Amino acid sequence: MIDSLCDRAGGEGIAVVGLYCDFLSQEQSTINMLGAILKQLVSRGGMPEHIRRAFQKAKKEFGGRGLRLPDLVEILRRTIVSLKRVYICIDALDESVPKHRRELFESLREIVRVSPNTRIFLTGRPHIDDEIVRCFGNAVRIPVSPTEDDIKSYLKKRLDSDTDPYAMDGELRADIMSIVPAKTSGM
Amino acid sequence: MSSGHQQFGNVNSFNVLTGTYVNFVTEIDAENRQILQWLSPLEPQKRHQGVRIGRLDGVGNWALETAEFRKWSEEDGCGDPVLFCYGNPGVGKTFLR
Repeated sequence: MIDSLCDRAGGEGIAVVGLYCDFLSQEQSTINMLGAILKQLVSRGGMPEHIRRAFQKAKKEFGGRGLRLPDLVEILRRTIVSLKRVYICIDALDESVPKHRRELFESLREIVRVSPNTRIFLTGRPHIDDEIVRCFGNAVRIPVSPTEDDIKSYLKKRLDSDTDPYAMDGELRADIMSIVPAKTSGM
Repeated sequence: MSSGHQQFGNVNSFNVLTGTYVNFVTEIDAENRQILQWLSPLEPQKRHQGVRIGRLDGVGNWALETAEFRKWSEEDGCGDPVLFCYGNPGVGKTFLR
């Protein structure tokens, strides 16, 4: 998705950023996640002065203090306002910690409210749908299931890279290629 | 002779200026790196490289053709800002191109 949006977004002032949730990661707090979005936005060009000033101020304070969530949302707003369009893609929301997810959704809702030029793309398992509806109301929702052609492409790749090709013959391969896609697509 | 000295002096001062400029740029770079680290320790681009390599061309492209996706991604569109693609584990959500 990130690459498709990047390909389409040829114009100036269009930024595409992305995150992958991972239940193994200990560092995926809302602040770190939104910080990673901001990091990608500012890596594109020069460091905005307002971020440099916020950093220099934080460095002087006790323990070189980290960002607070409201400050981060405000810095994001000031950064996004200078762009025409920002796409934020977040994958595998079901892998995020429920407490963080709620906070993340609330922050994202605030971001689209104060920065209407933001578009948010989310993926997750079906049980997250309730939380999405509760937080974003009428979000656009697309159910994902592989088409027969998707499954054929995938099977072909797996069969072609089989490390034990002698166990395969033409008939078995033809059976796999016809039966598996028909039985599994749209599941 | 004197013009030679003059030239030498110019070259020298040019070098000094360039050196100062290089130091200045290096300091800015170092601070920029610190700022990026301060913003977040996460590096999602690493995972993205892995996804990009594992992806099969064409698979899941139907999603990009849906009216819902088109409306959401339109540059000047004023449709709903949030798009949620959902599905069970392994259906290919991560690998939508």
